[in-house]
Amino acid sequence: MTPALAARGLTKAFGARVAVDDVSFELRRGETLALVGPNGAGKTTTLRMLAGLIAPDAGRVELGGQAVTPLTASAARRQIGLLTEAPGLWDRLTVRQNLTVYARLYGLQAPDMAVDAALARYGIADRGQDAAAQLSKGLRQRVALARALLHDPSVVLLDEPTSGLDPESAGRVRELVRDLAAEGRAVLICTHNLDEVDRLATRIAVLRTRLLAVDTPQALRARLFGARVRVVLADDAARYAGLLTTAGVRDVRTEGTVLSVVLDGSTIGSTPALVQMLVEAGARVEEVARETPSLEQVYLQVVGPRSGT
Amino acid sequence: MIRRVLALLSKELADLRRNPGVFVPAVITSAGVLALPFFVAIVVPYATGERLSESGDLQVAVEMFETQPWTRGLDPEGAIQAFVFQQFLMLLVLGPVAASMSSAAFSVIGEKQARTLEPLLATPISTTELLAAKVLGAFVPALLLTLGTFVAYLVGTAALARPGVFRALLTAESLTVIFLVGPLAALAALQMAVCVSSRVNDARSAQQIGAIVILPFAGLLVAQVTGAVVLTTGLTLAIAGGLLVLNLGLLRLAVVLFDRESILIRWR
Repeated sequence: MTPALAARGLTKAFGARVAVDDVSFELRRGETLALVGPNGAGKTTTLRMLAGLIAPDAGRVELGGQAVTPLTASAARRQIGLLTEAPGLWDRLTVRQNLTVYARLYGLQAPDMAVDAALARYGIADRGQDAAAQLSKGLRQRVALARALLHDPSVVLLDEPTSGLDPESAGRVRELVRDLAAEGRAVLICTHNLDEVDRLATRIAVLRTRLLAVDTPQALRARLFGARVRVVLADDAARYAGLLTTAGVRDVRTEGTVLSVVLDGSTIGSTPALVQMLVEAGARVEEVARETPSLEQVYLQVVGPRSGT
Repeated sequence: MIRRVLALLSKELADLRRNPGVFVPAVITSAGVLALPFFVAIVVPYATGERLSESGDLQVAVEMFETQPWTRGLDPEGAIQAFVFQQFLMLLVLGPVAASMSSAAFSVIGEKQARTLEPLLATPISTTELLAAKVLGAFVPALLLTLGTFVAYLVGTAALARPGVFRALLTAESLTVIFLVGPLAALAALQMAVCVSSRVNDARSAQQIGAIVILPFAGLLVAQVTGAVVLTTGLTLAIAGGLLVLNLGLLRLAVVLFDRESILIRWR
């Protein structure tokens, strides 16, 4: 099936500095792909290339299977909704005026109706006549989102959609983003908020100039950390670590009464077999649970020690 | 294309309506330019009791203008008033343009600083459309102000100047200046300002460079007043033709200079 949007070997340099190097991935309809990476990793540059705002030095962007060129970039932008990092509203204009100008720029047949629908959908109908300058940060973000989606784009690119928002506003924006994917749109989010990624993303692309990994959160967890099991004992867990290592269990960690092991690829293939071995060795097992590493752990594992620089 | 230009132009004009203070310098300049010839031709002679036609300094002008077809039938004082009002026409055109230069100079820089340019560039709008809307956003108010000032000028001369001076202003030359040379000069100056606005970080730079276009017209005004140049229909049409070519060249140059990529990368 043709992806809604695809990056094929995207490369971009600013002077001697390579911002994005040979990045390839696909974005499918109905999925939310999170583009994560440290500051300066090239996320925004990638987003701008995908949105047709800047041209790659090498590689290409494909929209619905068709390559986006400087000649077709304008037409491509009709199918893409971009939420920029800053809401970028015209402060002196009212919310309605802000949206109406964009509705007309996109050439919508009934701009006023489209604006009415957007105001209602994003819960800002009562603020239509307010100057944009009077809005809270959360409301500004909702207006910016409404603006990015006025023309009903099939591909939605969101740069830090909840950055700086309070939890309630961020939650509302996340609900709206979730709805976009549910409607069958292809959604790409650039964010530093890994909790948000966990809640929204179908797949994650980790970028640090080059693409380091692309997969579902579950697959990344399994690939990087394996199926880790956490066992709480009644006595000191360190007493059983040697036994498990000898039995071929990988990556045995202990902390007080807590024992944490990876079963994948070990001779003990299942949790019941692990528990049985411990009990037979005299351990009193109080609690057993599958351990799910946080996305932050996954991210740090992928990007390595230079993260955050 | 026109729809997108009009869409963005509507934003520029709505912005101006919400912030009319931006246009106050243009209104004040126009009022000053409007008052100046009346001061010279009507107020000063009235206050001093000395008619302009009696001034030895202006005898050459009196003789020159009495023989012109459009001053035929005017008395010497009327002829010299017509001379003064004709000369100030050029200033009448350039005053509002010079004053609205600041809004043109700020047009792209303002979008960059407010970080409103990136969402705008993410729409299907082309660079030509964007720049056309920006120039028109400064040009339309300046043009309306010029026309308003011209109407006030005519009404003022009809009411205060000698009989017939009002009609003497409605010549082919003056109408060409007001409706052709003036708007084209304004367009060129504002295009220059917008063009520079897309390349610099400081609105003052754009304003100063835009003002360069006005300098030749200030020179023309001086040449007219000193009698070195007499604006004929042919000369005004030639100037208009030159300005048209200049405008087309500036539009092309503006599109080339407006580098979307560097604008987005430099302004974060």
